[in-house]
Amino acid sequence: MNDERLAHTFVELADTLVDEFDLVEFLHILVDRCVELLDVSAAGLMLADSHSRLQVMASSTENIRLLELFQLQNDDGPCLDCYRTGKPVAHPDLTHAHDRWRQFAPAATQAGFRTVHALPMRLRTQIIGAFNLFHTNPHQLDRSVTRIGQAMADVATIGLIQERSLRHHETLVDQLQTALNSRILVEQAKGVLAERRGINPDEAFTLLRDYARRHHHRLTELAAAVVDGSTTATELLSITTPPPPSSHPPRRG
Amino acid sequence: MTEVSRIDRIWGAITARADVLGVPVSLRVLCEAAADRLPITGVAVAIRGRFVASELICVTDPLSRRLEELQLTIGEGPTLDVLDGSSAIHVEDLDAPDYQKRWPLFAPQAVDTGLRAIYVLPLHIGAIRGGALALYTARPARLPADILADAWVFSELALELLLDEQAGIGPQNGYRPPYWQFETPAEVHQATGMISVQLGISVGDAFTRLRARAFADDRPLSELATDVVIRRIRFDHEDSG
Repeated sequence: MNDERLAHTFVELADTLVDEFDLVEFLHILVDRCVELLDVSAAGLMLADSHSRLQVMASSTENIRLLELFQLQNDDGPCLDCYRTGKPVAHPDLTHAHDRWRQFAPAATQAGFRTVHALPMRLRTQIIGAFNLFHTNPHQLDRSVTRIGQAMADVATIGLIQERSLRHHETLVDQLQTALNSRILVEQAKGVLAERRGINPDEAFTLLRDYARRHHHRLTELAAAVVDGSTTATELLSITTPPPPSSHPPRRG
Repeated sequence: MTEVSRIDRIWGAITARADVLGVPVSLRVLCEAAADRLPITGVAVAIRGRFVASELICVTDPLSRRLEELQLTIGEGPTLDVLDGSSAIHVEDLDAPDYQKRWPLFAPQAVDTGLRAIYVLPLHIGAIRGGALALYTARPARLPADILADAWVFSELALELLLDEQAGIGPQNGYRPPYWQFETPAEVHQATGMISVQLGISVGDAFTRLRARAFADDRPLSELATDVVIRRIRFDHEDSG
C-alpha cells in the first residue's frame, strides 16, 4: 500500500474533523478511503444502539443485498463476535465458515465474498461498534490491512467523540443515539429526493453528498432541509434542475 | 445477563403494570412503569402542539405536571428545548450555575418546587419529531449508563405507542405488542420519505400511513417498505392507508 496515499488520507480525515464537521459524511469518507487504501471489496461501519443491535452508520455500498449482510450479523457473524469479545475477528475463506456462522457465511459467500475482517470500535473499555471489511478473494488476511483497518476504526471513534465535544454534558449513550438518528434522517432525505427527482435512493444519496460538498453544507443539515422542504434545499429538490453529469438518467416508476 | 433481554425486561415491566391496573398497554401505563422502575420521581410525555409549544400527553404525578406547565407558561425549559430539536438533555442538578444561566426563569422556580434533576429524551425518528420523554427527580442525580440505556428503551417504546395511537392501531383493532423485533432497515425510512412526497404530507404522517398499511395488510414493515422503494407499491390519494 502506498504510504503517501495513506498519509494523505489521514490528513484529509483530520481536516474534516475540524472543518464543517458532519459525522455521517465523515464516516462515509472514511469508509470510501478504506476501500481504496486497503484494496478491499466492501466496507461497513456499525454502531451499537441501546438494544446492543449493530446498525449500519456508513457503508461503501448502498446495494440493499450487501447492506443485509451487515444487518444479519446481529444473529451471527464476525461483527457480532467482534462486538461481544472486543477482539478483531477474521476469516480467510468463508466457504469454510458455514458451521461457524450458519446464517452469515452462506449469505456472504452467495454475495461473492470470501475474506472477512471485523475490527472493534473501542472507546476506553467500551466496545461501541464494529468495522467490517470484505474481499471477494480468499486469503486476503494481510497484517497491514488489520493494522490500518484498526487505525481507521479508531479514527472513526475519534470522529464520534468530536461530535460529542461540540455539545456539552452528553453521555456516550446519548451520543450514539444521536449518531444513529442522523443516519435515519439521511435515509428519509434519500427517499424524499428520490421521489422528487424520479431517481433511486442510491442516486439520491450521491446527489445529496455532492450538493453538500459544493455548497458547504453539513450533510445532516442538508438532509433536514430536504425533508422539511426548506429553502436551503430548493435547488436540490427542483425537478427542473438538471442533475450533475455523473448521475444516471432519472428513472420514471 | 445479555443485552438482548433489556427490551424484554422493560416490556415485561410495562405489561405487568397494565395487568395490575387491569387495563390495556398504553402510553400512560408505560409512564407509570418507567416511574416505578427507574430511580426517578416522575415521568411526563409531551408533544409539540399544533398551536402551542408543548402539549402534555401523559404525566405520572402532580410535581411533574407542575413543572411541565411551568415551562409552557414561562416559555423556557429542557422539555421545550428537546421539543424544539435539541438532542437529549441531562441535568444532574438544576441548582448548578450552568443551568441557572441556561434557564434563568425555569431553573430557580423548578428548584423551589422541589425538582433538582431532569433527563429529557427526544422521541424522534430522523426528522419525525414525536415529542419528548421527561424524567424528573427530587434529588440531584447522575443516571448510570445502565439506567440511561433503560431510559432510551422506554423512550423508543413510548414513541412506538404514540405512533400506534396516531395510526389508529390499538386494543380496539386487536392490538399486539409492539413489533420492535424486526429491524428498521434503511428502506423503512426511505419509503417514509417517498410516501411523504407521494401524498404531499409530513414524514411523520407518512410514517403513520406506512405503519397503518403494514398493520392492515398484516405484513412486516420492512417488506412493505421495500415494495415502496422498488416502486412496486405507490401510496396515492385514493389509498386509505
